[in-house]
Amino acid sequence: MLLELSEEHKEHLAFLPQVDSAVVAEFGRIAVEFLRRGTNPKIYEGAARKLNVSSDTVQHGVEGLTYLLTESSKLMISELDFQDSVFVLGFSEELNKLLLQLYLDNRKEIRTILSELAPSLPSYHNLEWRLDVQLASRSLRQQIKPAVTIKLHLNQNGDHNTRVLQTDPATLLHLVQQLEQALEEMKTNHCRRVVRNIK
Amino acid sequence: MELSESVQKGFQMLADPGSFDSNAFTLLLRAAFQSLLDAQADEAVLDHPDLKHIDPVVLKHCHAAAATYILEAGKHRADKSTLSTYLEDCKFDRERIELFCTEYQNNKNSLEILLGSIGRSLPHITDVSWRLEYQIKTNQLHKMHRPAYLVTLSIQNTDSPSYPEISFSCSMEQLQDLVGKLKDASKSLERATQL
Repeated sequence: MLLELSEEHKEHLAFLPQVDSAVVAEFGRIAVEFLRRGTNPKIYEGAARKLNVSSDTVQHGVEGLTYLLTESSKLMISELDFQDSVFVLGFSEELNKLLLQLYLDNRKEIRTILSELAPSLPSYHNLEWRLDVQLASRSLRQQIKPAVTIKLHLNQNGDHNTRVLQTDPATLLHLVQQLEQALEEMKTNHCRRVVRNIK
Repeated sequence: MELSESVQKGFQMLADPGSFDSNAFTLLLRAAFQSLLDAQADEAVLDHPDLKHIDPVVLKHCHAAAATYILEAGKHRADKSTLSTYLEDCKFDRERIELFCTEYQNNKNSLEILLGSIGRSLPHITDVSWRLEYQIKTNQLHKMHRPAYLVTLSIQNTDSPSYPEISFSCSMEQLQDLVGKLKDASKSLERATQL
């Protein structure tokens, strides 16, 4: 599958052959850093002064490169497809190789960052448990009431959340049994077939 | 067990065959247990024809006294001898003491269950449901191809009806971790019960 690059995108990327490979590599590094931490416009100004061009040109160059990398990573295009997509830009072979290397080196990390953008529910982080026995309460003395106290750690959008819950021994065994069945499901023929066939 | 004067007075009236004949006594006693233990009981519990001849104020006082005493006895897990001693002090005759103790014995389990269920506790997990899905793509990321679980815990909360469930997603490894930890807890529980 080839990447479709718009005219505007091609214009922005046209800046890249005008600088050396070292600069392109640096732009690549900045692009990934911006994906990780967010953009920092001051960097564009510094680079623009050094290269003697407008800060907009630098910005477009970096953004064009970022978009190239994220779209390729999102679609998980093959090496060959990436090379063919970039070929239409008419860059030198050296630059093409550099861009391919940038893609391959950073693809995994970019995909991890992109996966964090999906709508998400709180996700499991950790579980702590404690065994308790209630001995008495205000309304009844001399009790022996076992309970399991659980601290469930969840993550949502980077926030760490904990819930403290309780359950009785019978429900605990029920929970274990149900969730073990859930794990077993992945091993059934049906699931294996689906995993094998959806590529 | 500390009981108020009002309770004692009520019992002293109950002990008196002049105010309460055998039949009335039994009826009032049963009414007291019923008010406490029967979820559908209402004020009509004292509306029995055989209690009509008794002054309603006295009836209410004795009913309240009996109910109060039954709750206190249940709370402290009073045994037969404790009950007998108190009732003797209130001038109950042998027959009425026996009757009271028998009724108490018959209702003891229900009473203790009722008392044990009163009180605050942490949100209580009552059930779990799960869903297994295979993630193919999102608008930000194609070709994901990984299984994921969605687990929902049903929660019963004594304080407020809010948050009847907690849902979270997890990968296969995370679910294995979760199940492993729950199994540790249940093994620990098993060992504790064998001590």
